[in-house]
Amino acid sequence: MIKVDHLCKRFGNLTVLKDISIDIARGEVISIIGPSGTGKSTLLRCLNLLDQPSGGRIEIDGVNLLDPSTDVPKMRRKMGMVFQSFNLFAHLSVLDNLTLGPIKLLGTGKAEAQSKARDLLKLVGLAEKAASFPDELSGGQKQRVAIARCLAMDPQIILFDEPTSALDPTMVSEVLAVMRRLANEGLTMLVVTHEMDFARDVSSRVFYMDEGIIYEQGTPAQIFEQPQREKTRAFIHRIRSVCLRIDSPDFDLYAVNAEIEQFCEKQILPKKTRQHLWLLIEELLAVYRPRLAQAPVEITLGYAEKTGRLEVALESPGDAPNPLDSAALPDELGLSIITKLAESIDYRTDARGNRLSLRLIGG
Amino acid sequence: MNRLFQLLAACVLLVAGGSAAQAAPPQLQDLEGKRIAILSGTAGDLAARRQFPDAQFVELTTTSDAALAVDTGKADAFVFDKSVLINLAAKNPQLRIVEQPVGRLDVAVAMRKDNAALQAEIDGVLAALKQEGELQRLRAKWVDSRYTTPPPMPSFDQTGRRGVLRMGTSAENEPFSFHARGELAGLDIELIHLIGQRLDKRIEIVDLHFDTLIPALQSKKIDVALANFNVTEERKKLIRYSTPYLDNDISALVRAQAPAAGAENDGLPRWFRSVADSFHSNIILEDRYLLIWDGLKTTVIISVFSTLLGTLLGGVICFMRMSARRLLKVPARIYIAILRGTPVLVLLMLIFYVVFASIHIDPVLVAIIAFGMNFAAYSAEIFRTGIEGVDKGQTEAGIALGFTRVSTFVNVVLPQTIHRILPVFKGEFISLVKMTSVVGYIAVQDLTKASDIIRSRTFDAFFPLVMIAILYFLISWVLLQSLGYLERVTDPKYGRKAGGS
Repeated sequence: MIKVDHLCKRFGNLTVLKDISIDIARGEVISIIGPSGTGKSTLLRCLNLLDQPSGGRIEIDGVNLLDPSTDVPKMRRKMGMVFQSFNLFAHLSVLDNLTLGPIKLLGTGKAEAQSKARDLLKLVGLAEKAASFPDELSGGQKQRVAIARCLAMDPQIILFDEPTSALDPTMVSEVLAVMRRLANEGLTMLVVTHEMDFARDVSSRVFYMDEGIIYEQGTPAQIFEQPQREKTRAFIHRIRSVCLRIDSPDFDLYAVNAEIEQFCEKQILPKKTRQHLWLLIEELLAVYRPRLAQAPVEITLGYAEKTGRLEVALESPGDAPNPLDSAALPDELGLSIITKLAESIDYRTDARGNRLSLRLIGG
Repeated sequence: MNRLFQLLAACVLLVAGGSAAQAAPPQLQDLEGKRIAILSGTAGDLAARRQFPDAQFVELTTTSDAALAVDTGKADAFVFDKSVLINLAAKNPQLRIVEQPVGRLDVAVAMRKDNAALQAEIDGVLAALKQEGELQRLRAKWVDSRYTTPPPMPSFDQTGRRGVLRMGTSAENEPFSFHARGELAGLDIELIHLIGQRLDKRIEIVDLHFDTLIPALQSKKIDVALANFNVTEERKKLIRYSTPYLDNDISALVRAQAPAAGAENDGLPRWFRSVADSFHSNIILEDRYLLIWDGLKTTVIISVFSTLLGTLLGGVICFMRMSARRLLKVPARIYIAILRGTPVLVLLMLIFYVVFASIHIDPVLVAIIAFGMNFAAYSAEIFRTGIEGVDKGQTEAGIALGFTRVSTFVNVVLPQTIHRILPVFKGEFISLVKMTSVVGYIAVQDLTKASDIIRSRTFDAFFPLVMIAILYFLISWVLLQSLGYLERVTDPKYGRKAGGS
């Protein structure tokens, strides 16, 4: 149904989409998730050429969209689009919003278009709002009308661009309910969303986008239960992290502590956790002090919002042995503090260097 | 604009002067150091400056404004051709002429500098007319008779076989050139017809502002100008004169003694007491309502058609201005900057006297073009504001639905734009209607010009001014109703309010 090959999109010097290749079958419901600014909306807008791709190939229903001889407006009639900001026609009543396209573009008779529009309004639960104007509706109602407006054109595909992001939390569910219903009726849908539950429950496949590519894709079970790649994992577990770089043995401990404090405040961590973190980092840096003379150490603090886990990772180049091996330590006190504060400790080395990761207790 | 200011100033002068204390009429020597009204560049101007080096000079453009200035105490004297002053004094008992003359002047036919052949022809005719006593007869009829109602104009046959002689005049100069009984009359008018007959040429008369007669000659809009044209050295540098056909005294018009105290004992101003008289003399007499009616039609025609032209042209300019192509965008920006940055009067004169210099084009059409071009610059920016004010999402939604760019604009953006810009557009339209009052400069008889003509005959500023003020208001109001209707029907909720769906 939709086949995209090596699609890329640049805005000036900024490359938003690097190399996207996807293949979507009829009736699939695809959720596109990922952090902001990674090109999810741009991908959607490239599919109906609201944004002109910089390179690659898009094929809809066997028709090459980027071929100059293709009648693009006609192709767009097969692809509805639901916008984050609804974009209902402000000068038309709800009913006229639904009938404008069919009457002007499909040549449907006025009476027929209106009766179909009323049926669709019934479907989205807004039959009584037919005569209202967009500025008289709530956000959720507007979005449902926008979906009905798409359906009035009898599309084969609907592109949803963050349809619930501009809504009050109380109105999200009414829109999602309509979308669930459509998904069950066999429409091909591409949904850019931050609603993880919706993505998990409704989609046939989930795309995780990052760095301008489809970073990872799979069934909802694969993506949500066993994400394979690190950024996917971080996103799914809603991990917030900060990275500190220590360059010399004479580092500024107070500056490090200030950064830790800032991070804790941002994630609203309890005072006790912060004190534990301070103590843990201070002891770890004491252990690492001999190494700092040769190479810098990068400390990454990661907090998983969903599970409440707090992880500390120290990375440095080289394949030195585990610094926490008691043989290498001047005394046992530091180690005993570290092991007391850490729930699990893991040390591994590979070609890029060595990495010590610990999970803080009580998290 | 200039003319509006003059009107306003005249109105203020009149009202302020109503109760001014009057002094005894001065002798000529008493005028030294006083305020003297003059018309710039006339022989009276030069003579007065020679005679009264220490006086303050009030420069005006029409004789009726100058007489009004003396009457209301804004000037102490008006120095001008005696034959014109006689007429002004006859119409206003408060004014009289100082017996002792200020100087002498010659009146001649003005021509283009390079037109020596025409001068030879006209000099020949004038010499013959003088020989036959015709010039003396004209002088006796129009100047020396001191008539109370204008003498009749003889009829002339217009069967010139040697082409057309276009004559420019400024018909606000009784007894030389003025409107009487719905047609042009006066010494100059009769004389040019005599000249036309002798030269076997058909005469076409163009009524212009006095200021614009010399430019009109130079741009070949007219061949000769007769409008009590005084011969001065300064003007000789610009134009060619025939031999003078008249010489006369230059005199000073001053206020007579203050009126008797009893005359105003009912406490109401003079002009207010006699509204009925004013109505009669300004509107009924000599069928002057026809002048007003014609002027009204001209003002409405110019307003409506220049709005239509300006709206269409504005749409094109707006399209160019919003284009991404520099080739379209830059000319549109320059057009808007220049047209908005220059007075519309200047544009009007440039188009009439420069662009269409040697093409004989209906001045009403020139006015429609000039005001249309000016209006286009403003409406283009109004449209742009309106279009840019429509959320980009509206366009995207239309395009995503399958509309082309153009049909999205027509079906989605335009309906929202029209309703949005109408309030501003209406304001711009009202300005346009009022701005058209300057078209008198290119010989169009609009409403303001009609009132000028009446004022120059009746010497009554208040009534014609207030009347045309009311008429301008009514024109704007009536035309606004149609735009108001448009505003109502483009309201998206109009159908529902009217009980529709």
